[in-house]
Amino acid sequence: MTGSVKPHDEHGALDVLGDAHPVMAELVGASKRFDAIYAVRDVSLQIRAGEVLALVGENGAGKSTCVKMLGGVYHPTDGVVRVGGEDVTLRTPLDAQELGIAVVHQHPGLFPDLPIYENVYAGRPLTSRFGLLDHARMSDEARRWLETLGLRVDPDMSAGLLSTSEQQLVEIAKALAFDARILILDEPTASLTIGETERLFSVIEDLKARGVAMLFVGHRLEEIMAVSDRVTVMRDGRWVADLVTADTDQHHIVELMVGRELTDIYPDRVAAIGDVVLRLRDLGVGGFVSDVSLDVRAGEVVGLAGLVGAGRTEVARAVFGIDRPTHGQIELDGHPVRITSPAAALARGIAYASEDRRGQSIIEDFSILDNATLPVVDQASRFGLIRRRAEFALVDGPLQRMRLKFASYAQPIGNLSGGNQQKVVLAKWLATNPRLLILDEPTQGVDIQAKSEVHHIIAELAQQGLAILMISSDMPELLGTCDRIYVMHQGRITAEFDAERANQIDIGLAATGLLTSDAKIDTTSESDLEKLRSKEEEKKAEVVSVSRGDRPAWRKVLARREFGLLVAMIAVLFPLGIMNPDLLGASNLGNLAVTTALIGVACLGQMVVMLTRNIDLSLGSVIGLSAYASAWAMSDLPNVPAIVGIAIAVGVGVLCGAVNGVIVAYGRVPSIVVTLGTLAIFRGIDAILSSGRQISSGMVPRGWLDWTAGRFLGISMLVWIGVALFVIFAVFLRTTRFGRDIYATGSNPAGADLIGIRTRALTFAAFVISGTLAGFAGAMWASHFATVDGQLAYGLELTLVASVVVGGVSLRGGAGTVLGVLLGTVTLIIIQNAITVARINPSYLQAFFGGAILLTVLVDTLLSRRSTRLTRGAR
Amino acid sequence: MLDALVSKFKTWEFVLLVLVVSMLLAASALVPGFTRPFSISTGIATFAPAALMALPLALLVIVRDIDISVASIAGLSSVAAGLAIQAGQPVWAVVTFALVTGLLCGAVNGFFVAVLGLPALLVTLGTLALFRGLCYVLLGGTPISPLPDFFTALGTDNIPGFVVPWAIVPFVVLAVVFGVVLHRSTVGRRIYAIGGNPETARYSGIHVARIRFLLFVVSGVVSALAGMINMGITSQVAPDGALGLELDVITVVFLAGVSVLGGKGRITGVVLASILILALRKSLQLLNVSGYTQGIAVGGVLIASLLVTNLSRQFFESRRERRPDPSVDAVHV
Repeated sequence: MTGSVKPHDEHGALDVLGDAHPVMAELVGASKRFDAIYAVRDVSLQIRAGEVLALVGENGAGKSTCVKMLGGVYHPTDGVVRVGGEDVTLRTPLDAQELGIAVVHQHPGLFPDLPIYENVYAGRPLTSRFGLLDHARMSDEARRWLETLGLRVDPDMSAGLLSTSEQQLVEIAKALAFDARILILDEPTASLTIGETERLFSVIEDLKARGVAMLFVGHRLEEIMAVSDRVTVMRDGRWVADLVTADTDQHHIVELMVGRELTDIYPDRVAAIGDVVLRLRDLGVGGFVSDVSLDVRAGEVVGLAGLVGAGRTEVARAVFGIDRPTHGQIELDGHPVRITSPAAALARGIAYASEDRRGQSIIEDFSILDNATLPVVDQASRFGLIRRRAEFALVDGPLQRMRLKFASYAQPIGNLSGGNQQKVVLAKWLATNPRLLILDEPTQGVDIQAKSEVHHIIAELAQQGLAILMISSDMPELLGTCDRIYVMHQGRITAEFDAERANQIDIGLAATGLLTSDAKIDTTSESDLEKLRSKEEEKKAEVVSVSRGDRPAWRKVLARREFGLLVAMIAVLFPLGIMNPDLLGASNLGNLAVTTALIGVACLGQMVVMLTRNIDLSLGSVIGLSAYASAWAMSDLPNVPAIVGIAIAVGVGVLCGAVNGVIVAYGRVPSIVVTLGTLAIFRGIDAILSSGRQISSGMVPRGWLDWTAGRFLGISMLVWIGVALFVIFAVFLRTTRFGRDIYATGSNPAGADLIGIRTRALTFAAFVISGTLAGFAGAMWASHFATVDGQLAYGLELTLVASVVVGGVSLRGGAGTVLGVLLGTVTLIIIQNAITVARINPSYLQAFFGGAILLTVLVDTLLSRRSTRLTRGAR
Repeated sequence: MLDALVSKFKTWEFVLLVLVVSMLLAASALVPGFTRPFSISTGIATFAPAALMALPLALLVIVRDIDISVASIAGLSSVAAGLAIQAGQPVWAVVTFALVTGLLCGAVNGFFVAVLGLPALLVTLGTLALFRGLCYVLLGGTPISPLPDFFTALGTDNIPGFVVPWAIVPFVVLAVVFGVVLHRSTVGRRIYAIGGNPETARYSGIHVARIRFLLFVVSGVVSALAGMINMGITSQVAPDGALGLELDVITVVFLAGVSVLGGKGRITGVVLASILILALRKSLQLLNVSGYTQGIAVGGVLIASLLVTNLSRQFFESRRERRPDPSVDAVHV
């Protein structure tokens, strides 16, 4: 069997199927280098209209780098990306999208707080006349797209409530809605069931018929065979072969994926194997690992092979105490143990070198020495004080063995190459004197010289009696260093091999689930494939994708926070109203409404700021400052209309908001600190301005006091103004792109940047808006309260934050409604009013507001954790 | 050659030192009465509570948390002390009662943030209000006075024969203790590790949640101590004791060079920053600038110091990215 491996011509075009399927996008001789290492070298591939090109290769073959180059996330170091025959430079993912390239990622980057249909239309919302967003149409269209993909959910639901597989389908719907001409699917079926996969494939067929060019990156070879027209195989960052799917088979593809020469970087070793150190019996961890049983003996190097997502790291994390096993047992030296934390694991002589070196193994700003001694500093201390020399002595040995190249131990580890950093990590774990060492991808991102050195070290360690479990995606590494190799696939062990008798093909097949025993493929492949298929059929019956049809409208209303607040409000008002009927009297209700308007206007501003993941503590000071400024101006200037006073107040507010906005958005200083500072600054300015004076009602023109004193239909002007502003903002935040972009910025700032939203400008604008509203509120206060001094609105910060938080606006950004803010404000004001009327000391209020904030944050966090855990349960 | 980043913070303390010296010289020359012994000792005493609270807050910011409720804890603890005084308790019991109150407040913060994992900012904003509100609830409107001699001596007396007031002694002692702990002990190493990379710290066997919880408790106890000093300075226990002090405390912490991102900061910086803000406040006060207006200066210093550290960090990071290919490491050993 030779397969049809056609040579590349000089332009890398494969001419078998002719120009019925023109090339829509391609990589031409593309390379991508990171520091000293090439992730991808001189790769060419062509994606043709009406065809599916499958891109296959092992972990680390360079597939995702190619996807990122096509998607505009990476720039090729050499070579070009060509779209429609023309060389293009993709500076950002947005550029790629404009050219009709849509990428559906393995880990969807949706906006969790926005409804599904807004995610589908993110960046390109549908508008009606006047350029306002047409929510109804987007919801309907999104529902249509989702149904063609077999996902029946309410498109108005928040995207964050979906499971990963459902989110993937939304990403695909997004690409379809964008009418992408080139669709790249990166491991799209990783979390889909058979049924969902079949539906996806029928959509892909449909897209083929419409001439869409598709690139399908995947691991499951049976899927590749079913859906693709051509296959490009990559290995170690290089192109290996272009195949026509009809002319090849899975075995051949695996051969091409794994076949490489075993270079002599693996030392010979005579294994002196002792007793069992670690034994796992039917270990299960959540939805990631089931029924894993294995053992590792002293002096033995045991490999754990498998594809990304097979569950290997999850096994390691369970043994190291990071995750709790949900069933099964861990035994050390024959005794069952419960390992509750990494500290407990270390105490038992277990060490784990994580695969995420930067994120979990090193502290970049620490020196080499400090990194290496981190787990064992106690041993180098006396009375809790670190003794430098002892510290040195603890790790000097291990570090020397690593044959590290460096200037001094005091160098920050961030300066070293990946290989040398990994050596420090190994030294660190060695210094803990472990009996069991778990290595997770120990030579990932390490150059060949360092790789060889690491392998020699591993051999030495085994020689000395250490039990070593090595998770690796590097076949030659596994075959060259291990004594035995287990292979995992989708959370289970599919095969166990003796390293002497294993070969790369068998391991590759076991990793893709095609092989489930120690036997050779020709004899048992068919029956194993059958077994596999029937298991998958069973899974079809399991419903992972919850068909959340529409709940009746009234149920949706009930579940919303605003409804709960309304109930809480009535629940508080009712008994209080009975105890004190004055509370419900017209005049008291009128007062409540006026207070709500006065405070609520500023709460709107706080809401807008919090939507962007910031907070503004200075709003109270801004109200006070603008109130005094306008009152002062009105008392000084001879008989000008009220509008001048309002303009001055708003102007002051805009200025204050701009100051905050510039420092937060462009100076990148956290808003909590900035607004704490500006709170003091604005209040100080107010104090200077007022110098202890008071502007009383006699000092200002009649017109100034009148504009808030009027009544319309028996209701105070202030209330009408407040209502108008609330309505305007509600409409504005819902139907303008600006408003929706604010939500997107807070919900997923990185995602927002990717689709071209100018997040910094938006954050600046949010602060200017809140300043403007606070300024306007200041004008309202100055006019309403008539007597204004430099202490006005002192202490209002808390009420503003509390009202907004209780009203359901999340500090994490992206969530909250105007109605909620209104209800939150009203609730707190009612309680404030009730306390005053009941003659309880008003200072109790502060304690109450503080408690309310705590309670709300607590409940919100716990609830959101619960819902995400539920939906992300089984993968 | 030392990395630019390390030398930068050594430089920051040097910058602070220069600023402190310049400030003190300028104030001595330009501000009438600055060098009078009375000014010096009252200035130091008045600032002592804020300086004290900056010490544990610095540690909290280093581990990527924050506590803006410190002034409210100080107030509540002094209220607790006041109630104990009213009940006729001996001094040692009063002090214990106050410290325990601070401990409990810190534990509340620590529980919500370190154990339940809620955002430190919102939690301490809530407790800022809650604890302050409890001050009013427990004490009502009438301040308690007079106080036992111990407290008034603590607040207003000098160490016999010196210009230095007793009030600053706890700060000096704790600065030394915190300095040793942070820079020389295993706990300090762990604190920097958590700030540098909490995940790596956890994977290295550090009990991250435990240490964070402990730091909140320490912050509570130290705030209680600050509250008692404040009580002595004002010679009364009032529900608005130490009100608004968090601005000064936070300004000292960030002026000291403690990084907003965590993982960096030194006690020497906190000491120097305290002196700087203290001198600033005292100078303004002697120039008859009102409390609120002084706030402009402090708020301005806060924002300026953050902007400066931010911009210099961006500058140094871009220099770092242009360093030569790291697979060719520096001099071989």
